[in-house]
Amino acid sequence: MAQKEKLIVIGGSAGGPSAAARAKRINPELEITMFEQGRFVSYGS
Amino acid sequence: MVRTPQQFKEKQDIEVKTEHRVTKIDPKAKKVEVVNLSKSQTEWVPYDKLIIATGARSRRLTIPGSNAKNIFTLKDLEDGLRIRNYVDEKEPKCVAILGAGYISLEMCEAFRLRGLETFVFYRRELPAGNLEREISERILKELQENDVHFLPSHELVAFQLNSNGEVSSLETTKGNYPVDTVLMALGFIPNVEIAKEAGVELGKTGAIRTDIAQRTNVTDIYTAGDCCEVFNLVSQDWVYTPLGDIANKQGRVAGENTAGGRAFLSGVVGSAAFKVFELEVAFTGLGILAAQRYGFDVDSQVIEAESKVGYMPGAKRILVKLIFDRRDGRLLGGQMIGKEGVARRINALAVALHQKMTIDEIARLDFAYAPPFSAPFDPILIAAEQAAKKIKMD
Repeated sequence: MAQKEKLIVIGGSAGGPSAAARAKRINPELEITMFEQGRFVSYGS
Repeated sequence: MVRTPQQFKEKQDIEVKTEHRVTKIDPKAKKVEVVNLSKSQTEWVPYDKLIIATGARSRRLTIPGSNAKNIFTLKDLEDGLRIRNYVDEKEPKCVAILGAGYISLEMCEAFRLRGLETFVFYRRELPAGNLEREISERILKELQENDVHFLPSHELVAFQLNSNGEVSSLETTKGNYPVDTVLMALGFIPNVEIAKEAGVELGKTGAIRTDIAQRTNVTDIYTAGDCCEVFNLVSQDWVYTPLGDIANKQGRVAGENTAGGRAFLSGVVGSAAFKVFELEVAFTGLGILAAQRYGFDVDSQVIEAESKVGYMPGAKRILVKLIFDRRDGRLLGGQMIGKEGVARRINALAVALHQKMTIDEIARLDFAYAPPFSAPFDPILIAAEQAAKKIKMD
């Protein structure tokens, strides 16, 4: 089985979560990891 | 907060790791260095595609005493909680807000609601100095009516601290002012350090250079949000406009393109709105100074009109300022202020800017009219009509 393509998103405020969600919708096979240095994600949107 | 890490995992199968800081990007080996902040562990994680959405941080003054613990900035939820907890626990009496942009102006209301004596120190003469004078003057009046002390033309020199390491007063070029809380609301700096170190190019604004597909100059690295630039359709220039709605749009484009799709964000016109106590303030496009800087032959028109038919309850006076090019009548920007019907109304002008409409075309637009919502001649139509007359008279 081929390895899944990996997408890394740096930052979990507004642009990051929007990007990750859209990428997953376009290609559900993507393996997505989002890194956020703070305690919360999706706080800026 | 819109979603939690668990929701990302369960609903969307997206792994979210909070308290994880990416400290390095290796674009040749295609991996990032990640520090798990709670465990102080570091690891390298491989990627095929990378999106840099590192955001921005609040600009801080570096003058003596500026690291005191009762000096706050406000950008995100954690900052907001920190300020609220401080006000709850310490019950401060008197706050100095440095800067007079929209964060400063919105926080005036928040601090006044909590009963704090509120001072706004600003290096310029009028609040919201990037907006047109007529707008700023009304903002000033609203501040004064709500007992906010606006102190213009001050440059900060130093903070004096007490024995607890807290600010007890601040010194400006004009005097010394005792305060027990400080909010620095001085704008934002894009977080570009790890990108720059990896060879990702920055634009002239200092934010990450990108294109309408949200690519960077480095293959397989994309960017979105407050760390990167955005194209302004009016000035036809790449600018730095750190706002959440733009970040989300850019994020969608970056996400779609990294997943194999083809999306683009052609640009923004620079629309925003904020609230100062009872006042709505909204603007789109360029102000006079910016428009002149970009070489337009600038003229403007200011009018005041009712937000709806005058006999209807809730009708309020709105001030509208249109900025346009006198050579071809093209709209370049619009700003509005008033107690009702401003923030939504600006969107009509945003559409006009996107479509490069002239004031003459705007004056003849067919807007919906009914007395509870508007007047037969909407304030925008009146402003455009007056502006168009001005050009014809020349």
